[in-house]
Amino acid sequence: MFTKIDEKNLKEAETIIGPSLKVKGDFSGKGNIIVEGVLEGSLKTSSNLFIGDDAKITASLEANEARVGGEINGNIKTHGHLEISSSSRINGDIDCSSISIARGAILNGKCIMNPNSNHPNKDIKDKN
Amino acid sequence: MHVYVYDSFLNQKKYASLLAKIETRITDLGLSGKISRLGLIKNIKETVENEIKRGAKTIIAVGNDQTISEILPAMINTQIPLGVIPIDGPNKLSVSLGIESGERACDVLSARRIERLDLGEVNKNYFLSNLFLVNDGTIIEMNKDFTIEPIGEGSVNILNMATLNYPMFENEKSNPRDEKLELYIETKRRRGVFQGEGRKSFFVFKTLTIINTKNNLITIDGVKQIDTPAEVKILPKGINIIVGKNRTF
Repeated sequence: MFTKIDEKNLKEAETIIGPSLKVKGDFSGKGNIIVEGVLEGSLKTSSNLFIGDDAKITASLEANEARVGGEINGNIKTHGHLEISSSSRINGDIDCSSISIARGAILNGKCIMNPNSNHPNKDIKDKN
Repeated sequence: MHVYVYDSFLNQKKYASLLAKIETRITDLGLSGKISRLGLIKNIKETVENEIKRGAKTIIAVGNDQTISEILPAMINTQIPLGVIPIDGPNKLSVSLGIESGERACDVLSARRIERLDLGEVNKNYFLSNLFLVNDGTIIEMNKDFTIEPIGEGSVNILNMATLNYPMFENEKSNPRDEKLELYIETKRRRGVFQGEGRKSFFVFKTLTIINTKNNLITIDGVKQIDTPAEVKILPKGINIIVGKNRTF
């Protein structure tokens, strides 16, 4: 999981929605996705999702793991870890297996921790 | 039989000496064949199609990027390989294919390293490398699932094979053998986390539609322009091309 945009993340990402782009509709992918622009509709990926601090999202989001920032109006579901950065202003429900919320983040919505999801440390816990 | 298709601009006297050297080199390498000289009114597509019907085993485009671009439609889905002898410019396509200009291109022909490459198709036109369009007024529809609208000045670039005039892109992602096209959108304004990196967006796709509400044209492989709306799609393994060892993919 990446926590900041660097050259390596840019190269590994299957899709980059840059800061000067507006995407409307239902977007689905299999690779890592970086969103820095405007997104309206829905977004789903079986890999990881990065939402930048200046992004404006009006969409439901689903990913394996995610690091989110910016303004998000919509529900967020991750199968693994969800990291909410300090720049986040989220209006929507959250469904994930583990979470970290930075100081300063705003969250208006329900939070459901789903034990059946693929927790990133599940294998380690099972061994113990 | 090799068929050498000479572009019409090579009829100028200033190319006579260079062509003579190339023809000598071709003979030395045992690659002699028929020479078909194009005139201003001779249709290049028909000419090549007729040569293939007559039994041509290799078509060699002698000219520049425009020559290659005009020959492509006649070569689609045939097994006949296309060779290139670049003369004068622009020759960005040849450089990406690893083919040096003039006599040295004959050595690439002799080595006969054939790759089956993808082509891009846009409104019945074909491109080996890229499409270019300004951001202003551009809307992209992808698979009818979602639309993409660039905000601000910049350019929309669709790549099948990266050429050296795209230094701002991650060239390794544009491979004419991956059966995919890449959409890069670049904007000039620089703020936010992309500062210093340029403001880039990137998508991988197989088909999309481009609309431009301000009648800006799409440039195909740097040599031809067409209007929108335009449907763009990948034509996987659409052409056999003789490439050099210094190719970019």
